[in-house]
Amino acid sequence: MSELIGETESLCPECLKVIPAKKIAENDNVYLEKTCPEHGHYKVLIWRGVDDYKRLSSYAPVPSKPEKVAVKKDNIVCPLDCGLCEEHRQHTCLVVLEVTSDCNLKCPICFASANERYHYNPSLDEIRKMYQTALDNVGHPICIQLSGGEPTIRDDLPEIVRMGKSMGIDFIEVNTNGYRFANDIEYLRQVKEAGVDSLYFSFDGLTDDVYMKTCGRNMLDFKLKAIENCREVDMGVTLVTIVSPDINLHQIGDLIKFAKKNIPTVKGIHFQPLSYFGRFPIIPKDENRTVLPDLLKEIQRQTKGELTVDNFIPTSCTNVHCDVKSMSVLMEDGSLFPLTHRAMGPPKDTCCVATKTRQEISDLWRYIDEGMESGGGGEGTWDEFLQRARTNYLTISSMPFQDVWNVETERLRGCCIHTVTPDGRLIPFCLFNINSVHGKTLYRHEIFEKYATKG
Amino acid sequence: MEAKFSANAKDVMSKRGLKEADIADVVNTAEASNRKLFKDGVNLAKKRIGEVTMYAVYDNNGEVQTAYSHRMVLGEPVKTTDEPDLSDWTCKHCNERAVIGSANMSYLGVTRTGPAIVCPKCSDVWIEEYLATMTIAAAEGLFEKKKA
Ligand code: SF4
Ligand code: SF4
Ligand code: SF4
Ligand SMILES: [Zn+2]
Ligand SMILES: [Zn+2]
Ligand SMILES: [Zn+2]
Repeated sequence: MSELIGETESLCPECLKVIPAKKIAENDNVYLEKTCPEHGHYKVLIWRGVDDYKRLSSYAPVPSKPEKVAVKKDNIVCPLDCGLCEEHRQHTCLVVLEVTSDCNLKCPICFASANERYHYNPSLDEIRKMYQTALDNVGHPICIQLSGGEPTIRDDLPEIVRMGKSMGIDFIEVNTNGYRFANDIEYLRQVKEAGVDSLYFSFDGLTDDVYMKTCGRNMLDFKLKAIENCREVDMGVTLVTIVSPDINLHQIGDLIKFAKKNIPTVKGIHFQPLSYFGRFPIIPKDENRTVLPDLLKEIQRQTKGELTVDNFIPTSCTNVHCDVKSMSVLMEDGSLFPLTHRAMGPPKDTCCVATKTRQEISDLWRYIDEGMESGGGGEGTWDEFLQRARTNYLTISSMPFQDVWNVETERLRGCCIHTVTPDGRLIPFCLFNINSVHGKTLYRHEIFEKYATKG
Repeated sequence: MEAKFSANAKDVMSKRGLKEADIADVVNTAEASNRKLFKDGVNLAKKRIGEVTMYAVYDNNGEVQTAYSHRMVLGEPVKTTDEPDLSDWTCKHCNERAVIGSANMSYLGVTRTGPAIVCPKCSDVWIEEYLATMTIAAAEGLFEKKKA
């Protein structure tokens, strides 16, 4: 039995042509089916659990508009005329700003294809222009993720951060493999003093065999050292964990335990099911896919129900099938007390928490700070609970990026995570990175190559 | 007694999203049942309406001075000491001086204690304004915010 449950557009993995796509429910799975007149038929798994897929629609965000659009023309063809364009249905929550395409590692899996083909290292002036694009097009609070490549290979990273803050960027996080921060605590301190609010730190597992697969070398010692250094300089960290059944799906429970032990330095874990863009070793089959429901079921199983599938809710900012998030307070006995539950229903306002976590949380703490004045603390009281929640919390989130196989324009149009380009555009992060089986991108290489030095 | 509202009460109530009809209901129910606290010319009454416990502070003419609410569900008083401090309030029903005690309060599956005004005789429990608008509001806000 198969049922048509939606229609959208997608891309041909061979030629990147925009082609119509159907969402089909079959054997309790949801598939994306599409046909390129030239390259044939594709059928890709996008969800397990048809009812779950449909039910999540109640979390759909109220559509919003970008503050400003860069592309103004008739007959927009999404996603070729990005962006943002007038048809886009969400504002920008997080701006990804790449400060280099180079890296101190060369991982077998890398969405940015770092250290290939060309060297893109924008000048301070070009970076200033990209900050300005964000300031011109995005409402406050403006959150920027400095990314790459590996941002820490730039000695002028502190300067880049200071420039952003002085221009009025509200929040800056650095996406990093942590290698330099492990080896050079002074550099970490400089980055912190320059105004970096937190690290988005890739941390794929707790054993070296995981890093052999993701980084091509043993990295665990460096990863642990980097966290230790962050504790030392009081830098908050979100662990970012690639998830794949072929690599580390079995370690999810242990990773959550590890994160708990490292609260409050570790503020959260972000699980990033492997997507197939940039550098990756295989052409994915359905069994290589960790779709969101798979991840959540594993979390429930491996934490023995401490967190359940129902504790994870869409942020109601992006498309409802793009992300989930949970928040918990770490209790006296070491257990997690989840504050999020689907039984509470969709949130009333639609603001993006996943990406503005830090900002949101600081708002919350202000709120709690006022609450604390009432006194009356002590064991088992609400005051004490609030006091704990202030520092002992853990956010667990996930956003499986789309690749050329499973991409839907429906998700792209609702996207709120945008890469800023040196030519003054904002492009949904997935879309920016998507490439054909031949390595051709629609945006990443086409844009960066123009601003790069060859090598 | 017909509930009236001072300018201050109207202002506060609109900020807190409280309806006049609900607060009038709190006053009327308290007057009819004699379930309230009082001290020098002021009365404190409460009523659970829907998912919210609403409070009215009003004078003997029924003029409401302030109003507030919380969503937490009040439970049993919890004894923390043998000699609790006396509060300024007296329980109208028992004609007994209320004490500054502690009570269970539950919200979304979590029960913790918090300070409360307790009648030692009938064990009825009231939350004062500062607490409802500070700690309790923050705790409720914590859950509400984190839904998003
Ligand atoms: S993804 Fe959004 S901005 Fe880009 S082309 Fe599609 S609708 Fe326009
Ligand atoms: S995945 Fe990250 S650390 Fe690895 S090569 Fe790419 S940019 Fe560098
Ligand atoms: S980056 Fe991709 S997965 Fe994330 S919100 Fe945008 S479209 Fe969805
Ligand atoms: Zn094709
Ligand atoms: Zn968002
Ligand atoms: Zn009494």
